[in-house]
Amino acid sequence: MLSRLVLVSAPVLKNGGSFGACAVQASRSLHTSEQKKAPVPPLPEKGGQTRHGIIPEELFTLLYPKTGVTGPYMLGTGLLLYLLSKEIYVVNHETIAAASIGAVIIYGVKKFGPSVAAFADKLNEEKVAKAQEVKDLAMTNLTQAIEEEKKEQWRVEGRQMLFDAKRNNVAMLLETNYRERIHMVTNEVKKRLDYQIELQNLHRRMEQEHMVDWVEKNVIKSITPQQARPSLRPCTH
Amino acid sequence: MAGRRVALKAIDWMAFAERVPPNQRAMFNNLKTRSDAIAAKLASLPETPAPINWAYYKTAVAKAGMVDDFEKKFAALTIPVPADTETTKIDAQEQEANKNAADYVQASKARITQYEAELAKFQNMIPFDQMTIEDLNHTFPETKLDKEKYPYWPHKPIADL
Repeated sequence: MLSRLVLVSAPVLKNGGSFGACAVQASRSLHTSEQKKAPVPPLPEKGGQTRHGIIPEELFTLLYPKTGVTGPYMLGTGLLLYLLSKEIYVVNHETIAAASIGAVIIYGVKKFGPSVAAFADKLNEEKVAKAQEVKDLAMTNLTQAIEEEKKEQWRVEGRQMLFDAKRNNVAMLLETNYRERIHMVTNEVKKRLDYQIELQNLHRRMEQEHMVDWVEKNVIKSITPQQARPSLRPCTH
Repeated sequence: MAGRRVALKAIDWMAFAERVPPNQRAMFNNLKTRSDAIAAKLASLPETPAPINWAYYKTAVAKAGMVDDFEKKFAALTIPVPADTETTKIDAQEQEANKNAADYVQASKARITQYEAELAKFQNMIPFDQMTIEDLNHTFPETKLDKEKYPYWPHKPIADL
């Protein structure tokens, strides 16, 4: 429908363009009375109804109350016969030419009309579909972008946790260090005391051994040869 | 020797992980492994050390007064708590991060209003099959044919057809 509209509105636009762009949705350059700001109602889908392709239906509805269904046909027939009989319209060679051309035109329109109309409508449909696609894509992209922005804002709210984690780590490290220190102190004190005990034990052992050695040495020294002989004699005998 | 001082704040790692954007995942994983290592180390150390058995040492060590002397000094000893140098730095980082976040959120809100305005324009548009060419030019100014620059049909360079 847009393509047909272009043909209609092209001369209008040509004259209306020089008036400058209005803020209102449709140009009102054909309106000669004061401007109304209401939006223009949508244009009708189909053209006016016609009978036999030429005569508008409004004539039939106009004459129906007075003359019924056959009224306009009677009017048409009477008019035609009047024109022919009174020779207001003269039948000559051009009548034949007009009839032949008319026949060919009517045949062509009847045969190829619908397909040509469908083709023109398809062209327009494609344009509209393309525009619609662009619009839908833009809308989905925008809604998605809004969603993502909201999500990023939600993410940013979680930044508190990072710093809590960091502070926790610091506290844990300090605590660990402190515990290590007190453990070290305890262990060192224990080691010192244990060392003292070991030292004492060592001293004692050494004294004992020394005493035992000394006693042994003295005992061996005190065994005079005099005393040793009677005890050695049974061994050699 | 007092027990633990600062109570550790419980961190919900799952919720934290949800909020991490994908391009910072690696940093988050590093942080988590380090935190877990530190927590494990802390858990492995007992809170107080095993107490020293002074009675046994008093009977065992011969030197007079040495054990008593040690005991007195040990009881009087206080271990200094390690100084906390990092918390102030962390607080400073937090302040800066808050400021950055506020700026980002503001910019993000501006972007959202812009997107919503465009979305409203698209939603309030009349359907294409009820538009005239003038309406189209009004809604999408880029479709307007420049009749001054290209006075002859098709009013745009042939390459743009």
